[in-house]
Amino acid sequence: MEIAYFLGCIMNNRYPGVEKATRKLFEALDIELKDMEGASCCPAPGVFGSFDEETWATIAARNLTLAEDIGADIMTECNGCFGSLFECNHMLKESEEKKAEINANLAEIGREYKGTVEVKHFAQILRDDVGFEKLASLIEKPLDLNVAVHYGCHFLKPTATIGIEDNAENPAILDDLVEITGAKSVDYKDKMMCCGAGGGLRSRDLDVTTSFTKEKLDHMTEAGVDAIVNVCPFCHLQFDQGQVEVNEKYGTDFALPVFHLAQLYGLAMGLSAEELTFDAQRIDATPAIKKALGE
Amino acid sequence: MIFRGVFSMSIINRLKSLFTGEKDKEEKDISNDVSNTSDDVQVTSSQTVQDDIVSGTKTTVPRETAAEPEGDKDLTFKSDIETLEEEAPKEAPEEIVEEVEEAPKEVEKAPEEAEETSVEEAPEEVEEASEENVEEVKEDTNKKDTKRDTMTLLTDKELLTDSNRDPDFTAEFIDAGIETVKHCFQCGTCSGSCPSGRRTPYKVRQIVRKCLLGLKEEVITDDALWMCTTCYTCQERCLRSVKIVEIIKKARNIAAHAGYMAKPHKMTGVFVMNTGHGVPINDATKALRTKIGLPEIPPTTHAYPEALAEVQKICKITGFDDLIGYDEATGGLKE
Repeated sequence: MEIAYFLGCIMNNRYPGVEKATRKLFEALDIELKDMEGASCCPAPGVFGSFDEETWATIAARNLTLAEDIGADIMTECNGCFGSLFECNHMLKESEEKKAEINANLAEIGREYKGTVEVKHFAQILRDDVGFEKLASLIEKPLDLNVAVHYGCHFLKPTATIGIEDNAENPAILDDLVEITGAKSVDYKDKMMCCGAGGGLRSRDLDVTTSFTKEKLDHMTEAGVDAIVNVCPFCHLQFDQGQVEVNEKYGTDFALPVFHLAQLYGLAMGLSAEELTFDAQRIDATPAIKKALGE
Repeated sequence: MIFRGVFSMSIINRLKSLFTGEKDKEEKDISNDVSNTSDDVQVTSSQTVQDDIVSGTKTTVPRETAAEPEGDKDLTFKSDIETLEEEAPKEAPEEIVEEVEEAPKEVEKAPEEAEETSVEEAPEEVEEASEENVEEVKEDTNKKDTKRDTMTLLTDKELLTDSNRDPDFTAEFIDAGIETVKHCFQCGTCSGSCPSGRRTPYKVRQIVRKCLLGLKEEVITDDALWMCTTCYTCQERCLRSVKIVEIIKKARNIAAHAGYMAKPHKMTGVFVMNTGHGVPINDATKALRTKIGLPEIPPTTHAYPEALAEVQKICKITGFDDLIGYDEATGGLKE
């Protein structure tokens, strides 16, 4: 099995440990990750999608053509990238008119969108293409960790177009994937709430974004978790960097380390904290990692 | 007790009207309640009456208390007079003063007689004067309703008329395939679900309505339009399957093309035009990547200049460079 691996921006340019863990995981799963050479920003839905739909769709379609050249479905580990690429792919497959319009733009850079690949989310591939049983076989030592799962918004929603089988108001896919590692997913108030970073809000009005994140951190802390697990590097950044901003603004002392699901699997497969670049994250993950590994 | 009987009936009528949905009847009954309450004004503590009007609920307890004024009758009635004078309509003070002058006389006799007698007599004495108060109470209620109407577009600040409407604005949503903007029946489930609306002036229900009404300037000049994180909670819960987030994004597109763009957003566009990435790599991450055995530069536009050139060309073809005011010479924004 081959997958066109879409990196995006934040994961590879800020949290490379997520990329490292993913490459190791798929090596172990015997699935070849093909690099989409020359891929760009997805582009960011909050800016390009909010400013100019045509630019957004043309850049996204260009990324889709890279996977079409490889001849493999796309995997992304970022909800934002997933939202942009999936939505654009869906739109161009549904509308011949849109497809013609975007292809007219792509023709000027010698490309053509054909509509021959699917866009899939990392977690979706793990559950639906790999399966829980095979994943469980990779776990070297079950993790002893209570985590707050953060789904993020552009993963299961909008359900009218995203085909991932689950309930967007009360989903299970990530909780199931987390618990395979031995970690326990702890329920908390308003679990499905947004981290606050999306839609261009973080860059435009940090105070509002911080207020969202504070509310999430309050609820996660009340539930008594050791860490946060997400499947979106932008949410990841918001909980990591944003947690420092919350503490500065509100005088709080939140200290919940942030794990991308790939990092959690990396840890369970025996990768070190350094390989997973936890040492470069703002919130110290050492206590949670020690607890997880029973050290 | 006469009073209790009257109030009990009105409660039953109101309950009935709730079930039958007879709004007019309910309102009539409320008016009756108010008139009953005003009767009370003359013989009991006006404080009790105020509470009842404000809360809109009826309890029999205060009336029973009111029927036993003998203990501190003089004090009670004096305080009533003072409060009533404050509350009374300007047209009616004379009547109330007259009435107040009469009422104590009745009550002064009362302690010697049976308690019930005094209670039964009192309302008859005050009936005429109370009608003036009824009018005033009705007016008060109307004023409150007007205040509540700030939930609609009819704010005190500005009355929007047809001249504020731009049908072409509405047509842009329809043409973009968001016909569902017409399906909204303003239930407010979106606003009730919105995490941004809990902390910002962002009112998604109102924006959808304004888009349908064609209130272009209202929509695109409002900073609150940018307070949506596109979390889709509203759209998922919409009873009418309105593509709310699509509406917001389309409205933002129109706003952006009309020049309403925040500088940080333009800068993200600049980063993509310069590097292909909204969040470009930095030296710290390069070192980190090398340390963990990944290529220093990821295999993206960062590593392929010809790929970056494609992205830049797209931005020129679509006019994105002009839209954000990209300055090719400096690689920044035109001032």
